[in-house]
Amino acid sequence: MKSKSILLSIFLCFFLTNKLYAEQNQLVGADVDYGEHLFGECVTCHNSTGLGQGIPKITGLKTSQFITKILAYKTKEKENAVMQMVAERLGEEEINSLALYLSKLK
Amino acid sequence: MTKMKRRTFVGMAAATTTALSMPSIAFGALPRVVVIGGGAGGATAAKYIAKDSKGAIDVTLVEASKRYYTCFFSNLYLGDFRAYGSIGHNYYGLAVNHGVNMVHEWALSVNNAAKKVNLGSGESISYDKLVISPGIDLKFESVNGYSAEAQSKMPHAWKSGTQVQLLKNQVKGMKKGGTFVMVPPPNPYRCPPGPYERVSMIAHQFKKSNPTAKIVILDPKNKFSKQGLFMEGWQKHYPGMIEWISAETHGGIKNINAATMEFETDLDTFKADAASVVPAQRAGRIAMNAGVNNGDWCPIVPASMQAQADENIYVLGDASIAKSMPKSGFSANSQAKVAANHIRGSLTGSKVFTPRFANTCWSLVATNDGIKVGANYKATDEKIDKTSGFISKTGEDSNLRKATYEESIGWYSGITSDMFS
Ligand SMILES: Cc1cc2nc3c(=O)[nH]c(=O)nc-3n(C[C@H](O)[C@H](O)[C@H](O)COP(=O)(O)OP(=O)(O)OC[C@H]3O[C@@H](n4cnc5c(N)ncnc54)[C@H](O)[C@@H]3O)c2cc1C
Repeated sequence: MKSKSILLSIFLCFFLTNKLYAEQNQLVGADVDYGEHLFGECVTCHNSTGLGQGIPKITGLKTSQFITKILAYKTKEKENAVMQMVAERLGEEEINSLALYLSKLK
Repeated sequence: MTKMKRRTFVGMAAATTTALSMPSIAFGALPRVVVIGGGAGGATAAKYIAKDSKGAIDVTLVEASKRYYTCFFSNLYLGDFRAYGSIGHNYYGLAVNHGVNMVHEWALSVNNAAKKVNLGSGESISYDKLVISPGIDLKFESVNGYSAEAQSKMPHAWKSGTQVQLLKNQVKGMKKGGTFVMVPPPNPYRCPPGPYERVSMIAHQFKKSNPTAKIVILDPKNKFSKQGLFMEGWQKHYPGMIEWISAETHGGIKNINAATMEFETDLDTFKADAASVVPAQRAGRIAMNAGVNNGDWCPIVPASMQAQADENIYVLGDASIAKSMPKSGFSANSQAKVAANHIRGSLTGSKVFTPRFANTCWSLVATNDGIKVGANYKATDEKIDKTSGFISKTGEDSNLRKATYEESIGWYSGITSDMFS
């Protein structure tokens, strides 16, 4: 019982920081419809229902995690030719819209 | 998401022709989209229009087959990296999750003026917007001596279905130390690296069970997609087994004799023990019938994928002239999302975003040796233009090649789930 409630508070804590991040950073220019539309490009490869074999799942990523990862591909700090190409043409508005949409997915 | 809408029941019963007239009676007020072809382009378009319009558009998908076997990864089936069943998919997800009306019939013709699609059953369905994504037809006559009859002796296996099983049996049954002849198609064709991935997978089979066999590629072209990468891989994994002969070198295939399995060229006459001949291609016949083609393929408006010849028709995937995008499943899926967004905008007034196109094609050269090529594209007034791209490098680290192969498995699971669930 006790470990369950600890787990729950950890989960809540994560959830709230995620939400807070989204709110505090105000995600400049974010548009949830645009985010949903752009997400169509992600799910050609990132299976939203499967195990994430070969290509990681991105649903469930925290806003901050998502933005950090995308920026790391954009600056080519993180290796992967496909992701570097995807990130290359995402501007702030696109990244923030995707982040906003992802934060609303369960 | 699994909430059953009423339309879903219509969709699931739509294999019978009597159900066909129901949607227009019951939902006459909704704008109607008909999609012909439930492959990479059509299944994606049907899903996204239905999903994103949340019931505001009535979507009917006309697809001849109840099960779609992907051409993508059919080469991996040839190489024993996939089971045949794993590349087959059904349409229940589209019907149940998104309320797409499924009609498993051939679309025979399009009446552009009346905005109707005529089906094999004699019924017709009317549309406000029509999406055509029929894939390719084969121009058997483009290779002298090749024909619809010859396809059982020298399978093209370039459309999904039983041809690829036939080809695999012939590869496995080829006599020890025999010669396999591969004839790739001339440009433009579906899946530019496909013939060379096929050769790799057949070589992989031979290496295991027929190591003295030879593969001769009689190419109608003088260069091919990912050439340096494939050539390097063939040298590394299958030394001495594969000979690629360019058009310049063999001077053109003069004739093929399916009875004697002979390939006559200026250079020599090659005798095969098993073979695959992939002829030139053109847009699926229904596109011609709808009058949206110019010659073999269909010119489109780059920003929307609308046919240049008819603004109420959108042409996706292999059938379209999507310069500079290659004809691939990935491209068709990407184009479908652009068209879906545009169709929804014009029928319901929803936002239409700047079109974004992308493609990546993975190929498998040998166990854990994957390579890839990809690009981003944007719509200009004239064409879909490449803005940036990448390609795997020769001499890459084996861990990277393994990761690339694993990534391709992830992509397959991603795109098929995107199309069908
Ligand atoms: C060997 C091989 C390997 C490949 N590998 C890859 C790969 O790794 N990656 C990649 O992205 N692409 C790959 N491709 C290419 C890919 O398969 C095609 O580009 C893609 O399927 C095109 O999609 P489409 O919607 O245009 O046509 P299709 O996917 O062929 O779909 C057309 C559908 O329309 C139906 N149809 C046609 N006419 C009618 C009609 N009149 N009435 C009713 N139904 C109709 C057909 O039954 C079919 O299901 C490969 C192709 C081959 C041959």
